[in-house]
Amino acid sequence: MLDAHVVKVRPRFTVDVALRVLSGEACGLFGASGAGKSTILACIAGAEAPDAGHVTLDGVTLFPPSLPLHLRGIGYLTQDANLFPHLRVGENVRFGLTNGARDAGAAWIAELRDRLQLEPIWQEPASAISGGQARRVALARMLARKPRLVLLDEPFTALDRHLVRELLGALVHWQRELGFTMVVVDHESDVLARLCERVIAIEDGRMVQDASWDELRSEPATPLLARLLAPL
Amino acid sequence: MLLKRVGAAIFAAALLYPLAGLFVPVGAWQWGNGSVALDAVRVSLVFTAIAMVVVVALGTPMALYVARAPARERLWWQAILLVSVLLPPLALGILLSLAFGPHALGAFLDRAGLRMTNTPLAFVVTQVYVSIGYYVLGAVAALDSVPAPLEVQGGLLGHDRWSVFWRVTFPIARLGLAVALSLAWVRALTEFGAILITAYYPAGMPVAIWTSLENFGLPAVMPLLIVFLVTALPLPWLAHILAQRRLSRA
Repeated sequence: MLDAHVVKVRPRFTVDVALRVLSGEACGLFGASGAGKSTILACIAGAEAPDAGHVTLDGVTLFPPSLPLHLRGIGYLTQDANLFPHLRVGENVRFGLTNGARDAGAAWIAELRDRLQLEPIWQEPASAISGGQARRVALARMLARKPRLVLLDEPFTALDRHLVRELLGALVHWQRELGFTMVVVDHESDVLARLCERVIAIEDGRMVQDASWDELRSEPATPLLARLLAPL
Repeated sequence: MLLKRVGAAIFAAALLYPLAGLFVPVGAWQWGNGSVALDAVRVSLVFTAIAMVVVVALGTPMALYVARAPARERLWWQAILLVSVLLPPLALGILLSLAFGPHALGAFLDRAGLRMTNTPLAFVVTQVYVSIGYYVLGAVAALDSVPAPLEVQGGLLGHDRWSVFWRVTFPIARLGLAVALSLAWVRALTEFGAILITAYYPAGMPVAIWTSLENFGLPAVMPLLIVFLVTALPLPWLAHILAQRRLSRA
């Protein structure tokens, strides 16, 4: 289970959100741009240090004190694929595997490669592939280590709908198969609805609603949420 | 376009013109005091190499720290580093000989058998002082080219800080680090003013060229000058060209 209370002072407001996500559960963070959703994920991942609060994952304290990144067992995917440009695609995907795990995980890597259609670009330098391909590689690289917690910060932004549908399908499949806990931030309510049954709405760094998608859509807690959920 | 190119070519020719001095007839070249000249080459190359090991060992962790420090703190560190870069060499030499002299730290070092005047130790310490600021500032710029999120990903993918440095940070920043090192190399190898004060002996190439010029005139200087140019120029030149080529590819 993820148990997090993130307090982070921002210039405009202080992010102060407590959330609990059960093991194997997928939870969405929904809200307007700049509401503090990405800050929450970055603090849980360890990319940013919270100013106060606590983060535990399956009973292991991640903060405070701050647990080194390599011991966290977290997969973190953002809008930028952040591939290692000096490595080939295959080397990026296998980056997180130790030598022993590489042999043991060969079948798993092959599954990731095949399902995400990485075979044609497997030997290409990571710096030479397209943005959509880079997101697929980043997803494979993150899942290669079979993390206990997956944090997705708008990883599908600016991708065509066909690719988004494909990646969502793959994620749902692997979450069921591996049972990892997942927290997803996205602007697109469709994306969140596909991945998560539960959603937490954030406004100016505060939680304003914690509900199922149906509840959120039928009874949004604030006028801003209603506007965000309204069709174009 | 052609006119601009011709203008640039004239500029470049003027820039390289001092090298024409190598072809000016100054009489038959001679090694002056041959053994002294060869000793100077050896002293310069060996001690500069030792100084560079120290510069990299001390400067790289400092550069890593400064590159990842908060903006305001980073400014302070860079201001301090700039002082070491901007100090006039002759002034630095005098300050070093005073600071490491018998009335300061030198008294303790002397008791430990470490003399800080006219010794190999004085030579290397001076070279480190004149060059480490260049290396650290250059290394900070090189490390800036490595996006922090890549290092975060490296960590979350199970690699500790040391492993992330060697597998992510260093490969991406290595050409920039090489450029920084080459600048430090040239700065240390060619240092004259500060070395003249702290370590006139053992004489390195700059001091040997100066004394040859004083004692034997230009014909005795030219061979050493060639060696000086050959040892000082190619490494930084190549590092810069490679870095530029990589930048133009990116």
